[in-house]
Amino acid sequence: MTRGLAVAAVIALLPATVPAQTPARPKTAAKSSSKAAASKGVPRASDGKPDLTGVWQGGSERPGSWEEANTGAGVGGTGTDPTAAAAPSSNDRPAGREGAPYQPWAAQKVLDSFNKRAIDDPTSRCLPSGIPRIVMLGLFPQQIIQTPKQIVMLYEYMNVFRVVPLNAKHPDDLIPAYMGNSVAHWDGDTLVVDVTGFNDKTWLSGTGTFHSDELHITERYTRVSKDRINYEVTMEDPKVLTKPWILHSSLMLREGTRLQEYVCAENNLAPDNYELLLKEGAKITRQ
Amino acid sequence: MPRQPAEYGTQMADNSEYTERLREIMTRTIFGMWRLAAALTLLATALLAHHSFGAEYDATKPVTLTGVITKIDWTNPHSFFFIDVKDDKGGVANWKLEGYPPSVLSRTGWKKDVTMKVGDTVTVFGWHARDGSNWAHSRQVTFADGKKLFFGPPAGTGDGGNTPAVEVSK
Repeated sequence: MTRGLAVAAVIALLPATVPAQTPARPKTAAKSSSKAAASKGVPRASDGKPDLTGVWQGGSERPGSWEEANTGAGVGGTGTDPTAAAAPSSNDRPAGREGAPYQPWAAQKVLDSFNKRAIDDPTSRCLPSGIPRIVMLGLFPQQIIQTPKQIVMLYEYMNVFRVVPLNAKHPDDLIPAYMGNSVAHWDGDTLVVDVTGFNDKTWLSGTGTFHSDELHITERYTRVSKDRINYEVTMEDPKVLTKPWILHSSLMLREGTRLQEYVCAENNLAPDNYELLLKEGAKITRQ
Repeated sequence: MPRQPAEYGTQMADNSEYTERLREIMTRTIFGMWRLAAALTLLATALLAHHSFGAEYDATKPVTLTGVITKIDWTNPHSFFFIDVKDDKGGVANWKLEGYPPSVLSRTGWKKDVTMKVGDTVTVFGWHARDGSNWAHSRQVTFADGKKLFFGPPAGTGDGGNTPAVEVSK
């Protein structure tokens, strides 16, 4: 017992960036099993609302620390097992997901980007990746800080943020923005975030999934356990879509992970490389 | 009987049977890797970023290089390292290898200036740039002690995958 506690203590002191080869940390099963119900409990803030505060990983359903959840394939192939199933990028359409409901002319434009292998991806020029793309990607963590009056969402990818006031109206002097303008309210235990005021320079989810400045997004964050937030997003854009586009995803708690700097403009060679390859006549396109 | 690499090296030059055998193995390997990559993409569910490795690098041209590290740039949005690779004729070519950004490397087990240093000899598996120059997307790095780490994502990452986001009517 004492030895077990000592091991647990040593493990708890390991830094968050411990090499991924480290064997999966043994779960403190005895403690959690005796209080199974409590461990599954959703943390509550002082005002009684579910507390979404924490560092989260999108695009995953695996509980545990970042290292534990990414030892096999790892999000973006960051794991340690070369034979594990790798993961596609946020430019890819996840297997099984139905096609996005674009109007025919707009669908053709999406397809054009796909055939160009995403060389027109706004993020290749270091522009913010917009919503919901940035929420659903898993290579980089995101952090939520909840207070009774506002919720702050921080994203390592592109180092962008959202300050989301509760029970407020959108300002009437919005300037079109990459991350839009967000306001939120609680619907029972679900945080509902209304986002508008977008520019038309981001992709929604997948290569070429452009939108217009009439994009309106409704996000629903429901913390269903200590480890997990269920994420539902509804995208409405009458200029390019035929009907609301609804996606479901999840955010998994990554205790011990910290957000880091990501200054994309530092050494972004992609646009020049694309130009060079095209100039040289290299075959990039699919057709 | 399994043949050692050195044995291949000494016999290949004047033995067409071995040359043919080697060609067959390479063809099978490349075809197998292509099928594996396709299968892995289909199985995958998780999402990542950044922009298109698949536009710059050819997933049908895997490359394995052994060389000495000459420079390492832990930079955003992607990191790079450079290695001197000797060829059969005694020449040396400097290759540029691209991979994950610093924050992802640190969460993947890398420590800057510790895990890999200038002067170290490493073997890199990745995919060749589409223009055929000495430039590649690095996937797995094998160190002198046999330890392996991923420096970059799987082939084709960021190029849109196998299926467009919209239904295609033909």
